[in-house]
Amino acid sequence: MAGEDPEMSRILSRATHSSRAGAAVIAAVLVILFCVYALLEAGVRAIGQPPWLIDPTTAAERIIALPEGITPLLLGASGAVIAMVGLFFFLHAVLPGRRARHLLRDPRTAVVVDDEVLASALARRARTAANVTQEQVMVVVSRQMVVVNVRPTSGSRVSEEAVLAAVQAELDEMSPVPMPSVRVNLASSGVIGA
Amino acid sequence: MNGTPRALNRVLLFIIGVKLLAVGLLLLLLATVPAVAAWWHGWSANVWAGMENAFRQTRFPGREESWLWIVAGAILVVIIIAMVAWLSQQGKGRANLLVSSDDDSHINGEVRIGGGVAEQALRAALSERTDLAGASVATYEVKGRPGLRIRIQPRQGVAPHILAAEVSQLVEAMDQVIGQKTPVLVHMVSGARSRFTKAERVR
Repeated sequence: MAGEDPEMSRILSRATHSSRAGAAVIAAVLVILFCVYALLEAGVRAIGQPPWLIDPTTAAERIIALPEGITPLLLGASGAVIAMVGLFFFLHAVLPGRRARHLLRDPRTAVVVDDEVLASALARRARTAANVTQEQVMVVVSRQMVVVNVRPTSGSRVSEEAVLAAVQAELDEMSPVPMPSVRVNLASSGVIGA
Repeated sequence: MNGTPRALNRVLLFIIGVKLLAVGLLLLLLATVPAVAAWWHGWSANVWAGMENAFRQTRFPGREESWLWIVAGAILVVIIIAMVAWLSQQGKGRANLLVSSDDDSHINGEVRIGGGVAEQALRAALSERTDLAGASVATYEVKGRPGLRIRIQPRQGVAPHILAAEVSQLVEAMDQVIGQKTPVLVHMVSGARSRFTKAERVR
């Protein structure tokens, strides 16, 4: 596997983890907007002009008096909103940020595959094994688990073992890292006219 | 694969997130718990009194305004510049050259191969394939060395390992042409184009 090379393993780990660029852009824009507004008020104050929206001194006095001067509902709601935004950034920073992707072994290149691509390939295999149409198979791929949901055509039997064996064989051929385990769910009710 | 500063992103997001979280929780508590309001009045009035004192001592001679406002403005400008610098770091790292080296011959000079050579060759080879809904190739700088990112969008049901092996062969052919092994990342993505177009039935 190409991942043994330290340079390659660095590329792979960067491909399977989020860079948090989106959250970073949102946070930076928020901070910039806030600073531009504060700068405007501070500048207006420094040259002795009347304030644009609110004078910094008045704002500070209002903040000190806080539970008064505003309905508790509005105060609580705005507090909740700000806390939510903070929690969003906080979780982005703290959580591992793993992406829904698997690695494939390849001697030359580093290969990263979105889980949806794996799922659609496995669904195709399961569909041919169960002899049903595309709409009757749904495959969900997560890091450690592949769940194959099959809704058989009414009146024809679908062998769970055959589907499981086909999907497992396809997965063994792909050998994604980490290797997920396979579970097949056969729906008890069939589809009519498929 | 790009040079987004991930550690910096995490640290700054952590700082901003914790601050917003603290402010939000404080507002929530102020709205709901009376005891917090009493404490807040005492504490914040103290802080504000200290600040007003500082403002009074730093007035321009003969004028009402304090020069602390200008200091505050300067700090804000620095923060804004820092934030713009942070923004500009996101997604950077595109490179232009694939090879830039001296060869062994006795003629003075340098060999340079642009990233466009590999990008266009691979894109042309990949665009002929019917099992792909789209392909893009880009050159990035990884730790000062050029690397290629091949991003392909397989149609529904295409087996990724077979596709990976074939792309690998293309890359090996490219290695021979260029005469150097470049780190390559193959990324198979799923997107709206692969989801809503017809499934690949031939392979």
